[in-house]
Amino acid sequence: MLIENGQYNIGDICTSRQCRLGRGDRVAMRWLTPDMERRDYTFNELDGLSGRFANVLASLGVGAGEVFFTYLPKQPEQFVAFLGALKLTAVTGTLFSNFGEEALLDRLVDARACGIITKKSLLRKITRIRPQLPHLRFIILVDSDDHQADGIFSYNRLMAEAGSSFDPPLTPADTPSVLHYTSGSTGKPKGVLHRHGAVTMIHSTAQQVLGLREDDVYWCTADQGWVTGTSYGIIGPWSMGVTQVHFGGGYSAEQWFEILERENVSVWYTAPTALRMLMREEPLLYARFDLGMLRHVCSVGEPLNPAVIHWARRVLGKEVYDTWFQTETGAIMIANRPGILVKPGSMGKPVEGIEAAVISAEGGVLNSGEQGDLCLKPGWPSMFTTYLNQAGAYASKFKNGYYCTGDVAYRDTDGYFWFVGRSDDVINTAGHLISPFEIESALIELPDVAEAGVIGVPDELLYEKVVAFVSLHGEAAMTDELQLKIRLHLANKLSSVATPHEIHRLERIPKNKSGKIMRRYLKATYLGQDAGDISTMEE
Amino acid sequence: MPTLDALTPIFRQVFDDDSIVLTRETSANDIDAWDSLSHMNLVVSLEVHYKIKFALGELQKLKNVGDLADLVDKKLARK
Repeated sequence: MLIENGQYNIGDICTSRQCRLGRGDRVAMRWLTPDMERRDYTFNELDGLSGRFANVLASLGVGAGEVFFTYLPKQPEQFVAFLGALKLTAVTGTLFSNFGEEALLDRLVDARACGIITKKSLLRKITRIRPQLPHLRFIILVDSDDHQADGIFSYNRLMAEAGSSFDPPLTPADTPSVLHYTSGSTGKPKGVLHRHGAVTMIHSTAQQVLGLREDDVYWCTADQGWVTGTSYGIIGPWSMGVTQVHFGGGYSAEQWFEILERENVSVWYTAPTALRMLMREEPLLYARFDLGMLRHVCSVGEPLNPAVIHWARRVLGKEVYDTWFQTETGAIMIANRPGILVKPGSMGKPVEGIEAAVISAEGGVLNSGEQGDLCLKPGWPSMFTTYLNQAGAYASKFKNGYYCTGDVAYRDTDGYFWFVGRSDDVINTAGHLISPFEIESALIELPDVAEAGVIGVPDELLYEKVVAFVSLHGEAAMTDELQLKIRLHLANKLSSVATPHEIHRLERIPKNKSGKIMRRYLKATYLGQDAGDISTMEE
Repeated sequence: MPTLDALTPIFRQVFDDDSIVLTRETSANDIDAWDSLSHMNLVVSLEVHYKIKFALGELQKLKNVGDLADLVDKKLARK
């Protein structure tokens, strides 16, 4: 039984509980540096380190419910800090390490973050916005040996001075736990708040959908800045006592296959974009590696095209199971999975305990084959509890007794769901959800840019790519230098994933009579399609 | 200025990190923000700065900053 004596604390369940179950000497994390050097951390070590970190945060005055962030690339301290903060019952947010200062500012201000852990190369971005962060009391640097002025502390020193023993408080299921920010088509990113009780759903789906067993070696390639990276790159597998591989390097077909073979990975969770990149490699590459231990592959982030499934069956001899969930759902809701027939291209079937439906604009449940809004009956354990500081936006997601996902889908007669698209303008590029509004806002900060409209268009590799349209002030010309200026501005203010793949100049950005950018018109024009009704467009 | 030194301010601007110190052995593993997308920004920066063009095949062979500096030098010599 996962929950004992009412203790839902995620940090406790992922570390101390595993030790209590006699798994203390088992490898919890096999850390691989970008150079493929190996360092194993047992559950005993992970428990001690995360307990030590909980004591560090307590010594810095962090209280239950205060928001603490990690802002690190994938590295061991990321996991230690995440679990330690949860043990303390601080709300724990994770920030993608490629976020620029504006993306950071939006999130840290909204969450009233009290502290953050990062590294020296990222500190400058925080320092530049720190005057606008009155609630940020401290910054912990993982690669500094000494404390600095202005509340900047050395991780190594703090950890050396703290005790490793920490007893998490009895944590009821509704206690706030993990905070992730998600982009919408309008407004600032929203803070999606979860609760410790989510662990039960994440645990059960790790078993039933990912098909994890206690003796597996599991590798999830997702970054911890996103929900997959925390739910299934930390919580799910460690709640089961499963050994996880974590790799500090980026995409490299050769290294990835070496990891799968050398580390005897038995279940691999990755993204369609990564699989599509692997498909483009020389077939001779795969022949050099023995993936005999790999039972299956799971995929998440974007729809998985059938071609990838057929390629994996033919070339790797493996099944790829597509899974679907959102930051808001906290855990996998609909999936192809071991034990059911895989329908290539489908999202799969709802997991145990999940009631999904396709709903019409009028609120009625649609029949098989009819396309509409994909909705879920609320009440599953990992459902988000609110959008931080935006109760109205949270309430607006629920209609007619359903949570509305914002995805458009249909259900076939066998009960499989099929993704059709988004009902809003959010761009999904390589599994990253990008807000066109955020990019447009950042674009018009540039002195040469008068107006901007941003859309996502289909892309064979990335699922969607970001395309920006700008109108320029006066005599400004779209030179190579200005293109570069725009690219770097967006990469450094927002994130490299927000950098447009194409930037086009227009005389003016099409808007409706209320001044709203007509992204639908931009997209149709770009794709050479009929733009439909444009009667509301500004003259 | 040797190309390696001249690359440093470009790298610092692209990756928004003043602490970057390049050596010939520096690779994507040594710079946190160097991912496939920021790599494209680096390529565009070099093309604009030096008024040169890279072919895709040339870039895929590069293992580190030393290889990149050599490639830039080769292209500048041809101009």
